[in-house]
Amino acid sequence: MIYYLVIFAAGFAGSFHCIGMCGGFACALGRDQRGGGATILRHLLYNTGRLTTYCFLGGLAGAIGQVICTTQGLTAPLLNGSLDIAQRILATVAGLLMIAMALQFFGLLQVFHRLAIGFGGSTFALSLRGLLAARSSAAPLAFGVFNGFLPCPLVYAFAAQAASTAGALPGFLVMAWFGLGTFPAMLMMGGVGRILGPAWRRRGVRLAGGFILLLGLITLGRGLLPSDAHIGLAWLGGHPA
Amino acid sequence: MTAHGDFLCSHCSLPVGLRPMERRLNGEACAFCCYGCCIAFQVKSGRHEEWEAAWLLIQLGVGGFLSMNIMMFSLLLYSDAFTGVDAGVLPWIHLLLWIFATPAVVILGGPYLREMWLNGIQGRVTSSALIVLGVAAAYLYSAFAVFEGSTHVYFDTAVMVLMLFTAGRYLEAVGRARAARDLEPLLAAESESATVVDGAAEIRRPVREVSAGMLVRVRPGERIPVDGVVVEGESNTDEAVITGESRQVTKGAGSKVIAGSINIDGPLLIQSSGDGTATRWAGICRSVREALGRRSPTQRLADRIVGVSVPLVLALGGLTIVYWAQSLPFDGALLIGLSVLVVACPCAVGLAAPMATSLGIGRLARHGCLVRDPGVLETLARVRLLAFDKTGTLTAGKARLVGVDCEEVGIDEVLARAAGLERLSEHGLARAIAAAAAQRGITPLVTRDVRTVPGRGVRGSAEGRPVGAGNGRLMNDLGWPLPPSLAERARSLEASGYSVVYLGWGEQVHAVLSLDDSPLPEAQAAIAALRERGLDATLLTGDLAQAAERIAALVGIKDIQAGLSPEAKRLALDRIRHDHGSVAMVGDGLNDGPVLAAADVGIAVGSATDLARETAALVLPADGLWMLPWIVDVARAARRTILTNLMWAFGYNLVALTFAAFGLLQPILAAAVMAGSSILVVVNSLRLERLPDPVPALIPEQRSGAKAERTQHDAGISAMAGPAVERS
Repeated sequence: MIYYLVIFAAGFAGSFHCIGMCGGFACALGRDQRGGGATILRHLLYNTGRLTTYCFLGGLAGAIGQVICTTQGLTAPLLNGSLDIAQRILATVAGLLMIAMALQFFGLLQVFHRLAIGFGGSTFALSLRGLLAARSSAAPLAFGVFNGFLPCPLVYAFAAQAASTAGALPGFLVMAWFGLGTFPAMLMMGGVGRILGPAWRRRGVRLAGGFILLLGLITLGRGLLPSDAHIGLAWLGGHPA
Repeated sequence: MTAHGDFLCSHCSLPVGLRPMERRLNGEACAFCCYGCCIAFQVKSGRHEEWEAAWLLIQLGVGGFLSMNIMMFSLLLYSDAFTGVDAGVLPWIHLLLWIFATPAVVILGGPYLREMWLNGIQGRVTSSALIVLGVAAAYLYSAFAVFEGSTHVYFDTAVMVLMLFTAGRYLEAVGRARAARDLEPLLAAESESATVVDGAAEIRRPVREVSAGMLVRVRPGERIPVDGVVVEGESNTDEAVITGESRQVTKGAGSKVIAGSINIDGPLLIQSSGDGTATRWAGICRSVREALGRRSPTQRLADRIVGVSVPLVLALGGLTIVYWAQSLPFDGALLIGLSVLVVACPCAVGLAAPMATSLGIGRLARHGCLVRDPGVLETLARVRLLAFDKTGTLTAGKARLVGVDCEEVGIDEVLARAAGLERLSEHGLARAIAAAAAQRGITPLVTRDVRTVPGRGVRGSAEGRPVGAGNGRLMNDLGWPLPPSLAERARSLEASGYSVVYLGWGEQVHAVLSLDDSPLPEAQAAIAALRERGLDATLLTGDLAQAAERIAALVGIKDIQAGLSPEAKRLALDRIRHDHGSVAMVGDGLNDGPVLAAADVGIAVGSATDLARETAALVLPADGLWMLPWIVDVARAARRTILTNLMWAFGYNLVALTFAAFGLLQPILAAAVMAGSSILVVVNSLRLERLPDPVPALIPEQRSGAKAERTQHDAGISAMAGPAVERS
């Protein structure tokens, strides 16, 4: 349970980064003329869409992790803590990826910018703009769904974490907790606008980087350290199950 | 904080870091801390609204929400997350899937159902029927399974198929919106409004309500809505859409402006010179709209094939199910049948030609070239021979002084007298003479009592003696004798197609001035460029053979048929067509109307102002001859794109269909394959956007220079001082 709480906290801290990026969207969605209730509904829909995408990505990543592990011909026994080779490799890769993301949050590693450029999303962006202006009440939901797919180091980091769990359900739960962690700040953004100055947001980003770094190190440890020395498992009250 | 610490991300105001992502968006330099911010910024600050694409995106988003939930639970089911103790929740999970799937099928499948219905009541079966039947079968089967407590549900398949097809449609809409962006300035003419200044008030009015004499204010960045004259203000304008001129043109009080051009940097007050609907821009708008509404022959053929194939595919799908049902459980057979229906859906075929054509049309339109029939591009791409008219097409259609023969007097004196006499005349030959004198820096001799003798020429008096310039009859009337050598010279010049002006003073004819039409400076380069592209050129003209030969030699055409009446031109064209297949005719639109209409592709160069009476299928702006090779390139690229699109769409369908019928293709995979083929067709068509802009051998800026250079090696004005011209 503590494991998921750490993820929730990371999501919460990370949402200060979201305020920079997605918060702009939340602000752009703005208020509904039909009153406060409609505005809240709008932002709930938007965030639900976002959460669904995260959960889907988490489940998918977890399932992929599971497929990788089982096709190795080895079982993936999550419960007894004896990790097989494939899962170790997965954990190592995911851990490294998360550490790289964390370093990026500290402004140290910028490779992923270059990687993301190939995404070719400018036509997509053009159409998302149409969504923001659309009158339909389903538009915020659609917008949230696509927003979830926008390339974001935070999401990548947790998708990597989800993959390392090597199970659809735990993967889904990782992303769900992360998504829920981003809820408060994002909902607040929709209501009150940009109240936080850049300095505060920068602090939030650093904090998120710290959490991701911690999670990355634990994941990496799961991959590299011998089974009986798993501080992660002991400290976090057992790996998700 | 780094050295870049001062730079904040344009979107989230965080420091951009050591290596920011820099982009130019809407002409502003922006730096972003990450790609996400870059996209977010574009989304928020862009100007274009593409409604159809946006609407599809909403559908896709809501569908995505539902289908991702379905996929998530299906994924959990497949990964056996609910086995063992949790097995009791399975029916509830299935019910949940049904609850998610039903709205998804309704939302995403609705448009297809409507399309099938609308076509169905007209007695047509289209590709949407394939999707509707396939998805409905999967959905209904699964819904029954849920209520019977069976474990085989295929909601994920049904919904994902719809999602993928909708994604394909969305991309198609985006592609179309992009294609429309090129055409937007042309199609805007009818919906544009103008700011009419009435006393102190300024009212926005639709362009069609603007009439002659009204004052219209145009702010910088706006499109000039009416033809007119600038009353106040100074600005640069971009007239590319109408004239094809890519340079900015400076306008000040008194200059004429053309509707459809963009006012770039200063406010202008314009007095309209005609009705808002009478502009060339409005005409272009109407004819582009008509062209886009028509379907090209290739597309008609493709549509017919699709019409035939849909019932065949339905039958094939049915047979597949029957065949596999013998060896597999029914749901397995049903899935294979669904794959067949999905993969055979010829959606990409319907897309193949129209997108490429409208992109091509838009591409040409941006440079002032107007396509009036979508089939033209394909025909032009096939053409191997271009027939040219001479006057006004390959030549300027304006006389130019090419030689002076004089007796006992100097050439400068001849020109001074001629120019003095002709200075004020509006006659084409007179203007050519005055221009030639001005070019040589000769001051016209002051001439009084100038008066025009209709059909003969002009006469007046200078230095107390009568002067006259005109044809032989004027000299006869005046009774001035013509020296035999000059008479001989004039006869031979007239016989070879020159226009001849006699100049006399002091009771005698002293000089014979010969004038000729000159080839356009860009003609030679254009014809050479066409020849490089494997196109032959021939000259069909009503003019005398000698004149035609002279021009043909200058521009590099070997094949000439001269002295043709309009009717004979048409017959000549038919003969050529018999030998060469399709033929394009390039003419000046007004005089060559019938021939242009008779050619496979009629290409009119400029001049024609009344588009409604235009018979050519392709209308180039005035001075647009240099663009001809580029137009051929665009046409060929468009045709190539259409053919590869069709080949891809059909070929792909056939191969995938075989796989599906043998049960080797999952329905979701089949849908992905089909969506992929739509994407490929769209992307392949959008490559047309990247065609280079016309880079002519002679762009307008170089024209004046080229003229000077050219005059040195033919009988130009600057060579007149030479012995070959000064035949005294």
